[in-house]
Amino acid sequence: MKTYHDIAGDGGSRILEQVADQQAAVEEALAGVRHLVAVGSGKGGVGKSTLTLQLAAVLARRGRAVAVLDADLNGPTQARLAGVVEAVPLPGGGRMSLPRARAGFGVFSMGSLVPESRAVDFDSVAPGSSHTWRATREFTLLGEILRSVAWGRLDALLVDLPPGAERVVQYAEFLGPRTDFVLVTIPSALARGVVSRSAAALAGAGRRALGYILNMDGYACAGCGEIRPLFPAPDGRDFGLPCLGSVPFDPELARLCDQGVPVTEHPDLPSARALAGAADRLLHALEVAP
Amino acid sequence: VKFLCVPCDQPMKLADVAPPDRGSLSVRYVCPECGYEMAMLTNPYETQVVQSLGVRVGPEGAAGEADTARAAAVAEAGVGTTSVSGGPGPGAGDGAGATGTDAESGGGRCPFASLIPGSDTASAETAGGGGAGPSGGGSGAPAGRAAAVPVWTDQASARMKAIPAFVRPMARTGIEKFARDRGYATIDEKVLEEARAFFGM
Repeated sequence: MKTYHDIAGDGGSRILEQVADQQAAVEEALAGVRHLVAVGSGKGGVGKSTLTLQLAAVLARRGRAVAVLDADLNGPTQARLAGVVEAVPLPGGGRMSLPRARAGFGVFSMGSLVPESRAVDFDSVAPGSSHTWRATREFTLLGEILRSVAWGRLDALLVDLPPGAERVVQYAEFLGPRTDFVLVTIPSALARGVVSRSAAALAGAGRRALGYILNMDGYACAGCGEIRPLFPAPDGRDFGLPCLGSVPFDPELARLCDQGVPVTEHPDLPSARALAGAADRLLHALEVAP
Repeated sequence: VKFLCVPCDQPMKLADVAPPDRGSLSVRYVCPECGYEMAMLTNPYETQVVQSLGVRVGPEGAAGEADTARAAAVAEAGVGTTSVSGGPGPGAGDGAGATGTDAESGGGRCPFASLIPGSDTASAETAGGGGAGPSGGGSGAPAGRAAAVPVWTDQASARMKAIPAFVRPMARTGIEKFARDRGYATIDEKVLEEARAFFGM
């Protein structure tokens, strides 16, 4: 009796071929993108999204063609950070055109489409079982977005990942081997522990992380201007990766983010200087990457 | 999943798929050798998982082909696409923000019709605005007062096919808001271009 592998095709639907076609269409849509950079952490609340948007703004200021994809479909923040809340994607040239951040680059975020008072949900005939299918549905949607956008020629597409150490690996597999990762952490031992797991998971999956950025690394004292610690001294763990930069907590940066203003409009802020340095090191890492 | 006719030791061919019934798909297979028929009846979990892959189920030549227009039309009707929890859709809270059709909210339709290549989508297109003509003064021209539901021209509706099905109803709502804010009774390609310019595209 024949077994599964003795039989070509599935008798009709070509399910596997359809999925392969979807993946090929994603690769075709991203053909003009030189670097695919995923910004992740594993830990939530460490500033992945803020750094993604601001790094993109610095890179744009440096004359690089960039775009940002908010892959956090359930907790999207890039629309607010980029000032494109309610600025919906529109059709153009057979594909989807993205609203532009103030810094001039395209941004896709579900936050442009779904009000913050609402949750993103999917139709289902299997109520109460979203744990069995939701991740699949989300990656399918992400693929659909990737292949529908007119990305054009980009030096870098920055992908803002959702939290979750396991998600880092899922996205590594989904985005493919050409993706470079940047991990974001804060100095706390809690966060560094989780990010360490993400770094290990990436290494285990054979995926490349360009380095990490240490966010909220102290704050500028309003009185004396000195950078003072927010967390106990870091444990010295470097994740086996280069540190691309260290960004102090900056209330002014937080205010700008809420208003959708890129930090490049205020280059003298301590956080702006730190982000500029991190962006330059990221650029260098991308240029020297094999 | 593959099915084998054991007596013939031949792979069975997918013959047809019945319309979804309460989350279940009925997929009929036939043995090309002896003609024996059997049906695979999926439970809602199985249906949901397949739907989550964004694929279509059907006989060779019907499913898997680049039938994007029909797929998009089904999606246009809100089937197999998004529903925003607890309400018809983003921007609908002000009443006038909703399109007023089941098409955008997905109400009243099986969300799994998009799995089936043969789904009748004619009403979906109409509900999506494609069947309605311009109203008011010239197309895209400002009306005296904002229309509650701007009407989409066929051409503008067709261009929206470039937007992923899941995102499209939300994008439509956003464009309708853009049009209403400017007093346009009709959304045509000129309005889309104006929106593109406004959003810096």
